[in-house]
Amino acid sequence: MNDPIIKIVIVGGGSAGWLTAGIIAAEHCISKPASSEGFQLTLIESPDISTIGVGEGTWPSMRNTLEKIGISETDFLKSCDASFKQGTYFKDWATGKGDTYAHPFTVPHRYADINLAPHWLAHTERPSFAEAVCPQTQLFSERLAPKQITTPEYAFNVNYGYHLNATKFAAMLKRHCIDILGVEHIEATVTEVNASENSDIESISTDRTNPISGDLFIDCTGSRALLLGKFYGIPLQQKSHILFNNSALATQVAYPTEDAPIESCTLSTAQQAGWIWDIGLSNRRGVGHVYSSEHTTEDEASVDLINHIESLTTTAYAKQVSLRKLTFEPGFRQKFWHKNCVAIGMSAGFIEPLEASALVLVELSAAMIAEQLPARRSIMDIVAKRFNEKFLFRWERIIDFLKLHYVLTKKKQLPYWSDNLIGSSVPDSLKEAIELWRYNSPWHYDTRQVDELFPSASFQYVLYGMGFKTLSSHTERKTEQNAAKLASGLFQENAERAAKLKSSLPSNRELINKINTFGLQKI
Amino acid sequence: MSSFQIVSASRHQRTRVITDYHASLGDSLMYTQTFPLEFRDIQSCYPIFFIKDPDSGQFLATALFGFEAEENLFLNNRSWDASYLPMMIRRQPFLIARQGVDPASPENTQPVISIDMDHPRVNESQGEQLFLDNGEPSVFLQEAIELMKNIHRAHQHNENFQQALLKYDLLESLNLDITFNNGSKKSISHFYSINESALYNLAGDALADLNKQGYLQPLFMAIASLSRLRPLIDRKDRP
Repeated sequence: MNDPIIKIVIVGGGSAGWLTAGIIAAEHCISKPASSEGFQLTLIESPDISTIGVGEGTWPSMRNTLEKIGISETDFLKSCDASFKQGTYFKDWATGKGDTYAHPFTVPHRYADINLAPHWLAHTERPSFAEAVCPQTQLFSERLAPKQITTPEYAFNVNYGYHLNATKFAAMLKRHCIDILGVEHIEATVTEVNASENSDIESISTDRTNPISGDLFIDCTGSRALLLGKFYGIPLQQKSHILFNNSALATQVAYPTEDAPIESCTLSTAQQAGWIWDIGLSNRRGVGHVYSSEHTTEDEASVDLINHIESLTTTAYAKQVSLRKLTFEPGFRQKFWHKNCVAIGMSAGFIEPLEASALVLVELSAAMIAEQLPARRSIMDIVAKRFNEKFLFRWERIIDFLKLHYVLTKKKQLPYWSDNLIGSSVPDSLKEAIELWRYNSPWHYDTRQVDELFPSASFQYVLYGMGFKTLSSHTERKTEQNAAKLASGLFQENAERAAKLKSSLPSNRELINKINTFGLQKI
Repeated sequence: MSSFQIVSASRHQRTRVITDYHASLGDSLMYTQTFPLEFRDIQSCYPIFFIKDPDSGQFLATALFGFEAEENLFLNNRSWDASYLPMMIRRQPFLIARQGVDPASPENTQPVISIDMDHPRVNESQGEQLFLDNGEPSVFLQEAIELMKNIHRAHQHNENFQQALLKYDLLESLNLDITFNNGSKKSISHFYSINESALYNLAGDALADLNKQGYLQPLFMAIASLSRLRPLIDRKDRP
């Protein structure tokens, strides 16, 4: 049987669909139909179904992704109202009494060679962990940019990702995919999924075209999961017993003036039964409250959000904001690739945006498909099996890492927070890791796969940010004795590097204004 | 600090300008801006590199005089030891200002020559007079006005040059690792130069476009200028 894979059909636009299209099209030579040199890539988008338009935070991986797709960073920043994200700043998560900690995108100083955590723990008079080990953290309070106007596109002085307008982002990707990368765009609404004899998807019927056939179908239909969920019946594995948040109220908040400062990181402020995100784009903030409907009501959640917005603006402003309600089932599919259909984006799963894992999963999924794209149907099941193993592992790790943010809280008097501490809500793998971390500070052995989503440094930032204690070893170790000599010098180096960065980096606002005027250079 | 005044016979009758070159006269410069219109002359004396303006990130062409801040290897006993002096060096202490009914709209203004009264060259006892005793402009001032006109023209010619370099990907970043005779090493980054292989691979249309705008000759002059790097290192190595 001659079974080459030639035609890829992506069902659904939005950030997931167009990002996937861009990543695959940039890797392969895409041919318009009627030519035969490359793959054909078609994206079917319904003009009648709007995209969800949230998901405004990215990881640093997005820089590489955009560069590969062939988009200029200047164009991207301008057309998506984007700004620079250097990490997340958590407020009120540990005690709820004004406590804070940072999870910056840069790993601790000299992380590859030395684990500074035990040496930081050994000091009693000390700055916060993130501040002591990472120069980036000190940029947050002064809202400084991660680079200068002379730094080339996608290069950095300190590591960064973006805050962006998701609707404009999808629109920009769409233009680029159609105009530059040769992706065929069909505007139609799916009416039926048609199977072939071997239960593969043969074609998609729509309300205004002939059936669209293909060799591989990518389900980017959002939480509807038309292909993988509805057609194939691959169930969602619910995770609401671990991560309770299943609702969100979202809005936009204007800056008081055009020149108002832009935050350097996502702000995450813990609430009675959830937390509030605050994302600074170049022209507005995106603010929302994600919460558990089992632990609070929509009315209470909106009061908390309005109060928070009032603290950012004025009473009059806070009174007139309109909130958009979103609900979701936290969890992910039992598998993501079944037969000749693979799900990317919310069709694969969705979890609260605590560490902005949504877009990075789209990037990683599309990148693996682009690289491993099976040449023939006969090997597709092997690629599918590997894809499923890899992404199930990644989802499990995300669940563990997000849960870690909750299980170290001391706010036991609030039901939502005390429920988070109940043993049955904590995955065994996380329990085991925390038990280990009481004696061994997380380091390289805690990064179990080479392309792990969260490096062990992320565990350190959350653990020690939340006030967790790793006991010092009860016996002397030679490596630690040597490291102890180095450590104080490294803390000093870090402080010097932070001071140097603070004096040389512009504010986010200043850099964005300059980029709007002059643009960043490609080299 | 600078304090610019529009040059006038009434105001600057007694003003004189020192024409020597010396550290005390503001000449301790590692480099100065240069323009494609003078690349032919520049390349006979100085290596041409491109750097980014720290305020805008835009590329500037520069003539290199030394290897660290405030090092000018062409300064020698109150003179400048080279057969050609860059326009931006010769212009000191003058600048072009715009004067007119409405300074906000450039089309209603005239370029006029102005002088920085705080510049160390400017005084009333030594150097060249701006105006003769009868109030007529001196030859020195007339030449300065001519130079400012040339700089104005060079600026206009330069405007699209940087765009053309970027459009055809003709710049590449360069790290200079230099070892001096005394064994000391110097590494200079943040410099850019013409990407020769990109230039040689340009198609006919692109070459014609560059030539029409008068940019092709300066590109080759900039490439040729790199052979001035060795003599500059030798200057540093001189005992």
